[in-house]
Amino acid sequence: MTTGSLSGVVIVSFFAATMCLTPAITRPTVPFGVRVPPERADATVIRQQRRAYYGRTAVIGACCIALAILLRDRGSWWLSRIILLLELTADFGCYLIARNRIAAVKQAERWYAGHRQVVATDTSWRTDPPRFPARWLIPALTVIALTVLVGALRYPHLPARVTAGGHLVPKSVVSVFAIVAAQLYVTVLWTGLMLIVYRSRPDIEADDAAGSTRRYRRFLAACTRAFLTLLALVDLTLLLAALRNWQVYRPSGIGSALIVLPFAVGLLVLAVVTFRVGQGGSRLPGGRGGYGTAAGVDRDDDRFWKAGLIYVNRDDPALLVGARFGVGWTFNLANPMAWLVIAGIVATPAGLAALAAAVGL
Amino acid sequence: MLLSVEPDGPVPIYQQIRDRIVEAIAGGRQPAGSGLPSTRQLAVDLGVNFHTVNKSYDLLRQEGLLRLSRKSGAVVQRDAGSGPPRPDWAHDWAARLSTLLAEAAAQGLPPEDIVRHCREAIAAFTFPAAGESGPGSVGQP
Repeated sequence: MTTGSLSGVVIVSFFAATMCLTPAITRPTVPFGVRVPPERADATVIRQQRRAYYGRTAVIGACCIALAILLRDRGSWWLSRIILLLELTADFGCYLIARNRIAAVKQAERWYAGHRQVVATDTSWRTDPPRFPARWLIPALTVIALTVLVGALRYPHLPARVTAGGHLVPKSVVSVFAIVAAQLYVTVLWTGLMLIVYRSRPDIEADDAAGSTRRYRRFLAACTRAFLTLLALVDLTLLLAALRNWQVYRPSGIGSALIVLPFAVGLLVLAVVTFRVGQGGSRLPGGRGGYGTAAGVDRDDDRFWKAGLIYVNRDDPALLVGARFGVGWTFNLANPMAWLVIAGIVATPAGLAALAAAVGL
Repeated sequence: MLLSVEPDGPVPIYQQIRDRIVEAIAGGRQPAGSGLPSTRQLAVDLGVNFHTVNKSYDLLRQEGLLRLSRKSGAVVQRDAGSGPPRPDWAHDWAARLSTLLAEAAAQGLPPEDIVRHCREAIAAFTFPAAGESGPGSVGQP
């Protein structure tokens, strides 16, 4: 089994598990991206659709994993990507079925009739903001420094043609150190996005604003640490790939596949942490004590969520908001700054490659 | 401080933000000298336009309850412990209160019920003990 085929199986399995389990980590008041009042979070239609989604996505995941394992040594790197695309498309179909059925019942039974709909915030989030755990960046930066050091030491001894991106290319600073650029790009990108998250608004539940703010603080701290751990392990996988390309060692058989092991462990750590904390900390202890004292319920904001996944709200100055389905964050696509950031994320690697080619490195 | 607004409610959002902050100051949850988020931060947190929060803060500044500066941001200027208000302010407030009480009378609420509501509202406020001057007394407008 090659590194590429193993990473294909790992990615297909990872998405199979995460897509299947996402409803379990999603906030109970936004099942399948539909906002519902707290007292409806356990409605019959929601329980039925959740069960049906688990069943359907489990079957899809099992089929795709089996396919990825059976075809692991056939075709090229793109085969596992096609399987992944099929898997995600089918899972998305299951999500849409569940979402549409819940939304239809919500509308027919007028679940929000008579509710006072509010938006709540806890100003202590700004007056006593959480601190970004910068120390957790040290492992990733250490791995990058180590990669640069090994690369600099190996450079004079490398042959005229070196392996880069799976091909033999002429030796140059760019071809040898491209992997360091990839490490830096991933590290800077993730750190930058997490810093934006720290300045974004927390997911606060109107009927338990103080409790949900406390849970969100713990959620953010746990997720950031898990992300930064994943980052260090991604950099480590890139370092192992660099060592192979620089002929420090010659992995063979299963040894070559072990290059992706740090990446797989990082994904597992992230999955375990997100499963434990839930969306916005919704699975953490210290839940609400009852709905009786609520000053209102969270505003029905379904109209701003396209398919329950994409947030577009012109009146909202927020750049990033909490994801609606699963754990994470998503851009407010009505904010021009969001498009600038997305363009920067896409353009940076292309720009670097073009610059390197232009200066003839 | 917990702050909630009703975006689709009948009261303008800037007025709701202003009212919630006044209530928090009166209730002792936001004493004189305590900070509030910047207009941009509060706008992001409530998902409303910057200008909406700006209008609320400006109202509070005009009322002498908030101090806005580039360096320290938005800081509560005074609270119940900051001493008596300006005489002209008390006069204006009495006129507005009269209208509010008239609404209750016009709707047929008996005087004892009006007084009971007033007592309940006052019970939620925090007042300094007699003779005590709060930390906000330094920040009188």
